[in-house]
Amino acid sequence: MRQVAIIGVGMHPWGRFPDKTFVDMGVEAAVQALKDANIGWQKVQGMAAGIWVWGSLSGLNPGPLVASALGETGIPIINVFTQCATGTDVVRVAHQMVASGECDVALAVALDKSPEGFLTYPANQLHPDMHDTDCVRWKMVGLTNPAYWAMDCRRRMEKYGTTEHHLAKAKVACSKHGALNPRALYRKVFTEEEVLNSPMVCDPLRLYMMCAVRDGAAAAVLCSLDKAKRYTAKPVIVGAATHGSPLYGEASMCPGLVAAATPGETPLISESWVAASKAYDEAGIGPEDIDFLEIADNSSWQYLHYPELLGFCEPGEMDRLLDEGATLIGGKLPVNCSGGLASFGEAVAATGLAQICEIVWQLREQCGDRQVKKAKVGMGQTYGMLGNSASIILKR
Amino acid sequence: MNKKTTQKRQIPLIEGLFTWPSDEPHLIGGRCKSCSTYFFPKWLVKHKPNCRERHIEEVLLSRRGKLNSYTIQHYPPPPPFKSPDPFIPYAIGWVSLPEGIAIAGIITGAKLEDLKTHMDVELVVEKAWVDEHGNDALTWKWQPV
Repeated sequence: MRQVAIIGVGMHPWGRFPDKTFVDMGVEAAVQALKDANIGWQKVQGMAAGIWVWGSLSGLNPGPLVASALGETGIPIINVFTQCATGTDVVRVAHQMVASGECDVALAVALDKSPEGFLTYPANQLHPDMHDTDCVRWKMVGLTNPAYWAMDCRRRMEKYGTTEHHLAKAKVACSKHGALNPRALYRKVFTEEEVLNSPMVCDPLRLYMMCAVRDGAAAAVLCSLDKAKRYTAKPVIVGAATHGSPLYGEASMCPGLVAAATPGETPLISESWVAASKAYDEAGIGPEDIDFLEIADNSSWQYLHYPELLGFCEPGEMDRLLDEGATLIGGKLPVNCSGGLASFGEAVAATGLAQICEIVWQLREQCGDRQVKKAKVGMGQTYGMLGNSASIILKR
Repeated sequence: MNKKTTQKRQIPLIEGLFTWPSDEPHLIGGRCKSCSTYFFPKWLVKHKPNCRERHIEEVLLSRRGKLNSYTIQHYPPPPPFKSPDPFIPYAIGWVSLPEGIAIAGIITGAKLEDLKTHMDVELVVEKAWVDEHGNDALTWKWQPV
């Protein structure tokens, strides 16, 4: 497999865009990425696209619809669906298209439109309720996604002594970065007090300890490294683009399910542990070589759990790192320099690609006030319910 | 005058997930006899990766377990869940059963402030809400012992 570079990225603003279709937003992001790559659409030889769930079948098929707006050329277009890992996985698929030699240039697009409030149950009329585990969790238990995180969070607090102050600090840390990011939707710097005074949603998680959901779209152009210099002076090399599924004995409370193994030896959120372990192998490095990390902070629980799971510190140690400010830009392990989901809101399918945009900008030293000094290697990680997780390592 | 008395019925909201009618209901799970992996619902099959025989059977899960963790839901979930109006915060628990499986369920019969992890709980079947025909639509819940 040959080396692949990202030669261009584009990001539609995050927010609410009732007058734009998901296709409009995907096209805008794609056009931006192509322009950033100094490459024409007709040079793209393969494409991967993803959305979460919108409408009916057209809303599961964004790729050809976006390509239609760009101009139909007959290239292979793969629609990718791995829940919240989609944005990373569209880049993985595009990477494989180029690394394998099938294409010299591939485009990855991820986009989403979100409802108000809790992400909800997209009804499937084709099958009876009892075979749909996602229906069972809604109807029989009233389990919202944050309720799952809250239960994992409570277990963490009892195991390691994590307090609500740590949960609040996670938000504060992300908001400090969001304030420095002109693209962030939410740019206010929060205080611990404001977070702790926000309404309780799913005890112990309060409103400001969890992210909103929003519309968003992002895109990336990938090219074989040997040809990348034709298009950009700053190619960003893909060190690894991996994907993992759960291991037997997974004990985390996974949204969409109502059962789990009882806690044992399996890493908690094993699909992410697997994806990250494979990423380190593929890139030939370890977490100690990563200069900054983008993770999906759906809630403060994920913010605390993920760096530990990915081997950046010991289990339970994130509490102390947060206390010390180590996860801020300039610290030992900058986490979510973009501001994270806390500062953007989650556009489910697009999150992973938004992370990749940030990593690319950091590695190109285009991040201004939120620049990580001497950034050489960045990592992104996303997790999608019902057993999906993807990792990406990019380097200069 | 022809008066029709409609009997209010109690019907599982989704059939086949627990034994009903019953004074001591059980969740209906599945198990592989070869690798001893339990799963719920019974159609969401799990095996150990090296399981050779893959010999699954339906099983009634233990009625008692320990509260592994819980949360209190303070905002009404969206449909298809139906909450009372006005909404009353309710607790959801994750309960570890002796079989090595943990099952989620709404917690009933306890004050929210009395909930503690590791407390003993028992399976009950109770009304989730009243359906469009006026019947009690039932679900399973966990009740502290």
